[in-house]
Amino acid sequence: MKFTTLLKPSMSMLEALSVSVTGIIIVMIILALLAVMVVILSKAIRAVENKAKNKTKSTEKVVETELPEKKAPNGSPLPETQSVGSLDLYKTDEKTAAVIMAIVSEESGIPLNRLQFNSIKLIEE
Amino acid sequence: MSIINALISLFQESGFAYLAWQNWVMIIVSFALLYLAIVKKFEPLLLLPIAFGMLLVNVYPEIMYDPLAIATPGGQVIDASAHWYDSGVLRLIYCGVKSSIFPCLIFMGVGAMTDFGPLLANPSSLLLGAAAQLGIYVAFLIAIATGYVPGFEGFTPLEAAAIAIIGGADGPTAIYLTGKLAPHLLGPIAVAAYSYMALIPLIQPPIMKALTTKKEREIKMEQLRTVSKAEKIIFPIVVTVICVLIIPSTAPLIGMLMLGNLFKESGVTDRLSDTAQNALCNIVTIMLGVTVGATAEGKTFLDVKTILVIIIGLIAFSFSTAGGVLFAKLMNIITKGKVNPLIGSAGVSAVPMAARVSQVEGRKYNPSNFLLMHAMGPNVAGVIGSAVAAGFLLSTFGKLL
Repeated sequence: MKFTTLLKPSMSMLEALSVSVTGIIIVMIILALLAVMVVILSKAIRAVENKAKNKTKSTEKVVETELPEKKAPNGSPLPETQSVGSLDLYKTDEKTAAVIMAIVSEESGIPLNRLQFNSIKLIEE
Repeated sequence: MSIINALISLFQESGFAYLAWQNWVMIIVSFALLYLAIVKKFEPLLLLPIAFGMLLVNVYPEIMYDPLAIATPGGQVIDASAHWYDSGVLRLIYCGVKSSIFPCLIFMGVGAMTDFGPLLANPSSLLLGAAAQLGIYVAFLIAIATGYVPGFEGFTPLEAAAIAIIGGADGPTAIYLTGKLAPHLLGPIAVAAYSYMALIPLIQPPIMKALTTKKEREIKMEQLRTVSKAEKIIFPIVVTVICVLIIPSTAPLIGMLMLGNLFKESGVTDRLSDTAQNALCNIVTIMLGVTVGATAEGKTFLDVKTILVIIIGLIAFSFSTAGGVLFAKLMNIITKGKVNPLIGSAGVSAVPMAARVSQVEGRKYNPSNFLLMHAMGPNVAGVIGSAVAAGFLLSTFGKLL
């Protein structure tokens, strides 16, 4: 399309339609291109990050095997399944409380036996 | 006698004597906008300065006096000995709008406030941001079509392009483009754009409801993945390179938007990021709001063209909402029911109101539904989409300038 024809005080409907169709197609193409670039970049970055993570993990393993047997600073550590403290539930059933605690543990990356919940309360709107 | 003469003289010099009826109408309009901003809390940060600027210029039009104004289309200057510093105080501040400095600085602030994480987690939302620009092009067609109405001179292509950008639902972009293509329409276009942005919670829901089924509105979307810091840092750089290389005229808007975002995401320019999203953005918002409002001087503002701009703006908003929702419906079909079409309406870039509307509407039909983060993707994509659309219109029609 010759855009020089548009440089007039008035415009025919056909020209206007042509500008509109071209415009929406261009916006679509550019944003689609960006979406493709985002996908490619995300994959590349995640691949690099995963590689780096694996490398760190393997280094940690090596260090662990090289270290002498660990001793807990204050007595023996808590077993994986053991927990401490008491939990007050307000208008919350045990199942929901368990799910909430599991989510908090997962999101924070802290094992459940290292977290202490005092109470879980339902907030009514 | 001398007291009476003094009183007469005082009255003759007062605004009561020289204000035209159009000024009084605009004073009432400004009261209505102030009411909406203060009592109804519709976009008060923008609407209040705009309304007050409107009030100021209509009680004292000289506040926007321009001694260098061109008297005739031929370019004859009224007073050759006039100086820029003789201008009204708001006219001086208005230079920031005319020169596009204010809209670009606001875009930098918007960039510093924006989290592109939801968009990066779901890149297909960029397409929703593109589809929701439909209203721009529909509005352009309608504005051109008005020229075929007998007895009405219609809009020039430049004016039509400036009016069309209201459909992008992006205030700074609308001001930027209008300032370039049709500065004489800045008042009505800015007022229309910001008013409709404020009224999004009223405009969008009926359209969203009309275009979707109850089953579609109830769709629960999968949780978005976490986006790494590196992705967030690289994104603004990539967007700048791609958009500006393809459409160079997007550089001021996209460039400033992404610069602000890079301040935020880089993590090494906290002070700059803080200034861009708080102090600087607030200062520029005050100056931009008041001076844009001050362009709505009754004698020039109240005419058929202004009313048409307001009507076409509403149509543009509606079509943009419809474009986003319909495209989201299409994505829902392609993904076999994984996309809630309500997030499509957020593609009109009014951040974050449009995303909030999707969230509120979604919860109405499924109280356990949280669409906010899913809607933020198309919402921030809409900001990029409207800037690209503005760049396209500028590169197409800017040759006339």
